[in-house]
Amino acid sequence: MIIFRIAWRNIWRHKVRSSIVMFAVTVGLFGGLASTAIMKGMVMDMVKNNIENEVSDIQIHNPKYPANNEIRYVIQNSSQVMDSIKKVDGVKAVCERTKIQGMASTASKATGVIVIGVEPELEKKVTGIYRCLTDSAGTYFASKHRNRMLISEKLAKELKVKIRSKVVITFQDFDGNLTGASFKVEGIFKTQNDLFDKQNVFVRKSDLDRILDMPPNSAHEIAILLNSNDETYTVLPVIKKMFPQYLIEGWFDINPYLEMSTSMTKYMLLIFMSIIMLALGFVIVNTMLMVVLERTRELGMVMAIGMNKKKVFKMIFYETSILGSVGALLGIVVSALFAWYFGNNGLDITSFSKGFETFGYSTVIHPILETSDYIEVIVMVFFTGLIASIFPTIRALKMKPEEAIRE
Amino acid sequence: MKKETKASSPLRGDKRGAPVIIEVRGLHKTYTETEVEVKAINGIDLSFEEGEFTAIVGPSGCGKTTFLNMIGGLDVPTSGKVFINGTDISTFSSSKMIDFRLNNIGFVFQAYNLIPVLTAKENAEFIMQLQGRPKAERDKRIAELFEAIGIAGKENIKPSRLSGGQQQRVAVARALASKPKFILADEPTANLDSKATAELLDIMHELNRQEKVTFIFSTHDKRVIERAERIITLEDGKVVSDIIVNI
Ligand SMILES: Nc1ncnc2c1ncn2[C@@H]1O[C@H](COP(=O)(O)OP(=O)(O)O)[C@@H](O)[C@H]1O
Ligand SMILES: [Mg+2]
Repeated sequence: MIIFRIAWRNIWRHKVRSSIVMFAVTVGLFGGLASTAIMKGMVMDMVKNNIENEVSDIQIHNPKYPANNEIRYVIQNSSQVMDSIKKVDGVKAVCERTKIQGMASTASKATGVIVIGVEPELEKKVTGIYRCLTDSAGTYFASKHRNRMLISEKLAKELKVKIRSKVVITFQDFDGNLTGASFKVEGIFKTQNDLFDKQNVFVRKSDLDRILDMPPNSAHEIAILLNSNDETYTVLPVIKKMFPQYLIEGWFDINPYLEMSTSMTKYMLLIFMSIIMLALGFVIVNTMLMVVLERTRELGMVMAIGMNKKKVFKMIFYETSILGSVGALLGIVVSALFAWYFGNNGLDITSFSKGFETFGYSTVIHPILETSDYIEVIVMVFFTGLIASIFPTIRALKMKPEEAIRE
Repeated sequence: MKKETKASSPLRGDKRGAPVIIEVRGLHKTYTETEVEVKAINGIDLSFEEGEFTAIVGPSGCGKTTFLNMIGGLDVPTSGKVFINGTDISTFSSSKMIDFRLNNIGFVFQAYNLIPVLTAKENAEFIMQLQGRPKAERDKRIAELFEAIGIAGKENIKPSRLSGGQQQRVAVARALASKPKFILADEPTANLDSKATAELLDIMHELNRQEKVTFIFSTHDKRVIERAERIITLEDGKVVSDIIVNI
């Protein structure tokens, strides 16, 4: 206890210097934690959006379909398949789609697109595109008329169309004949993923099936939404067992980038903090070496009268730890407040985020910090203190007490 | 009347016949790190008995500090042996030596004795703290010592606000607190004025009598030498006289 008392009071012998070191630790930790929180928030938000709007938790295809998206590789008896999937534990909603490649053209331009035929009421329960309508005049397949389509803002601009404009879509039908139809734009949407927006247009499945001459009760894709994304790992094998003849994939199979991003967030803190801790470690070691040098006589004296090596190390370790942990505590508190406030209110980075959306990131970030992050940081601070104590201790113990105290 | 005799037993009166606690045989210390080799201690044989109040005297550079460092286990001799209570301390590892110093020897240095961030009381009980003595024992002992050395009431004052004499008294209290076998004081009065010097010597002598603790101190101050019961004079690392002062 006396050793701790000495260490604590020693810290305040150089108020300005110690405060600067502590402040550096605070800033360093806040920097590491806040950037981790932002990155995590961005990535998890991107993953969530991606799953919600695009890939869903699980997708089912004819095993031959994904290679070339050929129209003839369908899932047969799709409504029965959907019915039995609905009964699986953890499944929230199921929908089916017809999905083919085509060419969307207007008077001014033509571009290749993926045409997704959806059943609006089922689709709404699985994906969130209906929430992404931008033009207030637009609706999500509310019209009773045939051949309505949803197009993204991006594509609408490119094709120079507005609500109620007509777009001609051409494609090969089920028998390989070139066919096409004219669709009226009913709604304009915008997700956070520009690439997705540029590629996909939505029409009613019933319209598309009729034009394509699809066999009845069939679909190219069945999408499943689960109660939570994490359940994918447990539900996926169940469904695989039910339909061994089909290709059944989780969101991580469909878009490996999502899984990579998620697992990357786990190392983000470690990487950020390691770099920051290394820098802070140097600052602390340097300060403590200065301390040891300044107190040569004092250290020599206490060693002369009987303070052993272990206690000398303890004293130096306490001092580095106080320097580190006071700053760390502040840094953690500030970071927690940051994550809490912006986690709830969102951090709007629109002004300097040009290009983010291209990669599917939101411009309003909700930073995330988990308990494990704080624990990780505390452990790192502790070990940094421990390691940073070794060098100054070695320096202190090298002193011969008799030389240190000689006048 | 003052009479001086050649030392046979350095003790007189009721102290006579006390056991030898320090024995030095063929002690040499040569510094070779310097350009010219310095024979700081050049063949010393001495013994000290329990309860002595002894001054090591001689001009600056004669080897007083070096000698005290040898018998205090702060430095190792080039050759020769130092026995404390019959144990050869030159065989100790540096860690064992630190523990030995903690539990057997009290030190008072010329300056920089105290830890500046600790109060007078905390400084005085520091060694007892390192030894892990219980608080009640420490409190009792420090109160008793502060009374004896005349600084009661200064317990909570930091060293920087004590006079030089008061600081040295706290250092003596610390050295004495854990009742070591002997106390080594290297020029403890060098930085003190004559009044403070006399007071410190009074206190040391009083404690020597009351607690029967051995004091060995170095000095080149006449007034201090006069107070000693045994005077060992060094010159160029050798003992040139060793006398017992009889009253
Ligand atoms: N670490 C050292 N290196 C070299 N020479 C030293 C060292 N310490 C002491 N000396 C020399 O040894 C001699 C005795 O020194 P010291 O014991 O300090 O004398 P005193 O305490 O009597 O003044 C002196 O000549 C001094 O210069
Ligand atoms: Mg000296």
